[in-house]
Amino acid sequence: MTSGVLGVIELSWWQLALAMLLVLVVAAISLRERLGLERDLLIGAVRTIVQLYLVGLILAAVFTAARWYWVLLILAVMAAIATHAAVSRLAKPIPGVYWIAATALTLSTAATLAYVIGMVIEPRPWWEPQYLIPIAGMILGNSMTSAALAGDRLQADLFSRRDEVEARLALGFSGREAVQPLVRAALRASMIPTVNGMMTVGVVQLPGMMTGQILAGASPLTAIRYQIVVVFMMAVATALGSLLFTRLAVGRYVTPAHQLRRYLL
Amino acid sequence: MDAAMLDAIFQVQRLCLAYPARRGHPAATILDDISVDVERGCALSLVGPSGSGKSSLLRCLNRLEEPTAGVVRFDGRPITELDPRELRRRVALVLQTPVLFEGTVRDNLMVHAPGATLDVSESRLRATLTEVGLDDALLDRDAAMLSGGERQRVTIARALLRDPQALLLDEPTSALDPPNAMLVVDTICRLRDTRGLTIVAVTHTPELVRRLGGALLYLVKGHVQAYEPVQDGGVIDARLQAFLSGTRP
Repeated sequence: MTSGVLGVIELSWWQLALAMLLVLVVAAISLRERLGLERDLLIGAVRTIVQLYLVGLILAAVFTAARWYWVLLILAVMAAIATHAAVSRLAKPIPGVYWIAATALTLSTAATLAYVIGMVIEPRPWWEPQYLIPIAGMILGNSMTSAALAGDRLQADLFSRRDEVEARLALGFSGREAVQPLVRAALRASMIPTVNGMMTVGVVQLPGMMTGQILAGASPLTAIRYQIVVVFMMAVATALGSLLFTRLAVGRYVTPAHQLRRYLL
Repeated sequence: MDAAMLDAIFQVQRLCLAYPARRGHPAATILDDISVDVERGCALSLVGPSGSGKSSLLRCLNRLEEPTAGVVRFDGRPITELDPRELRRRVALVLQTPVLFEGTVRDNLMVHAPGATLDVSESRLRATLTEVGLDDALLDRDAAMLSGGERQRVTIARALLRDPQALLLDEPTSALDPPNAMLVVDTICRLRDTRGLTIVAVTHTPELVRRLGGALLYLVKGHVQAYEPVQDGGVIDARLQAFLSGTRP
């Protein structure tokens, strides 16, 4: 990545305040159309500023400190927040779901990150926060979304197709065999948005990371190379995240004696 | 009821079933201290109001439910000592709403677990369809095109192809119109006679209770209210008669 110093326009407070005017436009629309969104909009705008500023300050400190353990701590906090977000999107509680989500997200992110950082990008040192933190964030975000999508679909299908599952169990299928068609449907549902996204990437909208790099002064040809890595990396993060999550979650719904725990549905 | 049966295929002793408390749901007792025997080749009808635990008791017999306490024996052995998959091939279950999978009737009859094998000849497939009162020309019909009564009889045929010793029926006729329900009742009663199958049925149909004979267990809120033989003349305890006819006039 080329240094962006040359091409970057530093934004002043004054310029940020001008951007805030855009929020006022939204507020005006909400008021005029009686959408009742003004309060949430105000909270959202304040949170955007506060959260991003805090993150900016923390990242700046971590970049300056340049210690591997600070970088790993940041990754751990990100994983914890992603776990909570994935779990809170489920319609019904699954016993032990925090551990399931934490395991699925951590393993899928670690595996993807290890490959991308260790084999593809190869920064020196490996924990260089400029690379590790944003890339880990993108992987986690995708794992989180796909795990939540797959979990949600699996839950809904286990409820609506419970008779079908029990019919298979009654015919001598194992628990995992009996839910396999449902697991497949959940995995497909979680992966289709990513696969579809690959079809139109860059054509409809420039991806966020590529946009950022271009704004920071990188050549578009450098930016697309990174973006290609990112797209493939997100695809595998999606697949691994949802696969691990559904595998582990199925273990909560079916017992070793090949029963479906109906009371959890 | 005489406790010392000569040849009990199922022995249920002091069975309890409860679901643990979860967020938003208190713990629930489903079955409380149930003891019942089913003699080989005989029938047991389970009756009672909705939510009385009839289906749960039925599902304890092929271990789709795990009792919290008590023992279920099949052929003299606690079912926890058997592989549940093997138990379920010997104790087949037919559900209230017949579940047929995508494909033809043949695909549905031949369905089996990925690792298992089901070696069935063409003639046996046809004979089994005939046995449940269906035309063997249905074999290559799309299963989605069948009527409710046909679907239910296909699921019974699918169970029979596994040569079960016992058949568990969970309200097998309640999703059917009267003529189709009667056909299914006929089929079930014929199978009990020709194959010597043991039958345990959750039912609200007096006709099925009478024709199956054997014994009748009346459950209310997980407790046994009555457990008595169905007399040859079809004379059922007046209370049960009232209940059965009251819910299904």
